[in-house]
Amino acid sequence: MSGESEASTGTKIEPGRRYGFFTDTTLCIGCKACEVACKEWNLLPSDRASLSGMSYDNSRGLSATRWRHVAFVEKLDESGELPTAMPPFQSHWLMMSDVCKHCSNAPCLEACPTGAIFRTEFDTVVVQQDICNGCGYCVPACPFGVVDVDTDDGKAHKCTLCYDRLKGGFEPACSKACPTESIRFGELDELQRRATARVGELHAAGVADAYLYGTPGSPGATGGLERLNAFFLLTAEPEVYNLPCSPDRPANRVVPSLASGLAAVAALAAAAAALLGMRR
Amino acid sequence: MTRPPTTYYGQPALKPAPWVWKVPVYTFAAPVAGAAQLIGTIADLSDPDGGRSIVRHARYAALAGAAFGGPLLIGDLHTPMRWYNMLRIFRGTSPMSIGSWLLTGFGAFSSVVALAQYTIDRNAASARRTATGRNAGVRLSSRIAAVAQLPAAAAGAGMSLYSASLFTATSSPLWAAAPRSLAVKFGSSAVAAAAAGLSLLEHASGRPSPAASALDRIAGAATAMNLGATVAAGRAWRKAEVDGPLTEASAIGASYRIGSILLGQVLPLVCHALNASRSRPSRGLSMLGSLGIVCGSFLMRLAVIEAGKKSSQRPVDSLRFTSGRPRKRDG
Repeated sequence: MSGESEASTGTKIEPGRRYGFFTDTTLCIGCKACEVACKEWNLLPSDRASLSGMSYDNSRGLSATRWRHVAFVEKLDESGELPTAMPPFQSHWLMMSDVCKHCSNAPCLEACPTGAIFRTEFDTVVVQQDICNGCGYCVPACPFGVVDVDTDDGKAHKCTLCYDRLKGGFEPACSKACPTESIRFGELDELQRRATARVGELHAAGVADAYLYGTPGSPGATGGLERLNAFFLLTAEPEVYNLPCSPDRPANRVVPSLASGLAAVAALAAAAAALLGMRR
Repeated sequence: MTRPPTTYYGQPALKPAPWVWKVPVYTFAAPVAGAAQLIGTIADLSDPDGGRSIVRHARYAALAGAAFGGPLLIGDLHTPMRWYNMLRIFRGTSPMSIGSWLLTGFGAFSSVVALAQYTIDRNAASARRTATGRNAGVRLSSRIAAVAQLPAAAAGAGMSLYSASLFTATSSPLWAAAPRSLAVKFGSSAVAAAAAGLSLLEHASGRPSPAASALDRIAGAATAMNLGATVAAGRAWRKAEVDGPLTEASAIGASYRIGSILLGQVLPLVCHALNASRSRPSRGLSMLGSLGIVCGSFLMRLAVIEAGKKSSQRPVDSLRFTSGRPRKRDG
């Protein structure tokens, strides 16, 4: 399959390969074109607009109807005072376009009892709207607070990495709309190569804080999460962006929990047999 | 105390489970029904004559719990019409899937057992009137019940404890912090509440069977185990610094500390211990202890579920819980 994506990003979209996003926060200018493009392409309803008082972030976070979200962090200086001088890089701003991480292993997928959430031929994670029954178990399973149940339609929703566009050979709407290439769509191996090179470039330029979040072995890809197909280049602690440093795979706890519970109930069953049998 | 992490304007970093009151009610009713089937089966196997009324009550209670729990679970879906999609696949990494199949199996086998029991009871009633004694229908029903109760009890044991796995296999810090002790807590609490409920039914039926006091002992043993698991879970929660929702002065904290621990564990243990030391057990003490266990078991579930939802909405708790930096490296 060839198409628009090959022309615009150099990425040929073929089933059976792994695709993802590399979001380089040092290039983000906070224009929110990704939020808007996502809403438009995916026909997501508008959110009730209100002022949050959180810098320029009035959309506050990802939700069932908001699959890209731009975070705005205004950095204070060490003393906590408002800064009066401008640093040479990124001034006092950290901006980051957050999105579903399309984890591997994906906790939402592993939690889904209906098989509505599945891994596509592009190695992305999608909720099939015609199967989801809105049990909501994917919601607390997600280590990143991404997937959400819409109480209006009773289904779980999150970023599909524009599954429909990929099928047609188009790059996702958000990366297409990003004017600074902060959001890059591509094949995962290629993106990771590029991201590693970018970190080296930034380090050489004196941005010692730059690191990757979500590539194998880095923060975000921990505790059984091998990698995040949507990964990030950050310049502050993950928590600053509301990201967990060491998330884990909730399914790791299923066996220990069931085994402990079974042992306890078995012991009590044996005690019950002894106590009831004593009167025979 | 580790330093509280930076947060993003205090916005939650996780989303809470979108479940309403039906889930706590289900996670009380269904596990207790499961444990009742288990106790009933054990009573049938170890003391078929003395435990006859216990077995009878347990079989009906098991079906009642399954019949009550299923609709609750379906009602909590945001698209209830599609409940049957739960049976599209089986997924071992999802306690929600494991539980759906357990409930299905439990409901099916418990229906067979209860139906067989009903046939036995009806025939016994008419036999008393006509003095013809046990007939072939009763013998067949007894045999069906004796066989079907085994898978029903096995599924019941699973029912009694899986909801702890349902909660612990999430990213909610409070649920995730104590996987093992939470499972022991839920399992032992279900067994205790089932034994207590069956004991209450014995008293309510007016003529408690001779095996009835064994139920109080089972409930006592299970409650002692529950208390141990409560201590262990409390330690794990404190260590992970996620215990806030359960220790603070709030409705959730009160129903956990006063409802589930004092009323549901300490009081019943005192009642049942006093009764065990008496030559003639007091009916009042037994019933008071049993009521405490049943109420405490429900309040424990309610408190743990609500606290877990709250926990995931506290970015300081959740980001600290995942703040380990074992493998951080640049690039």
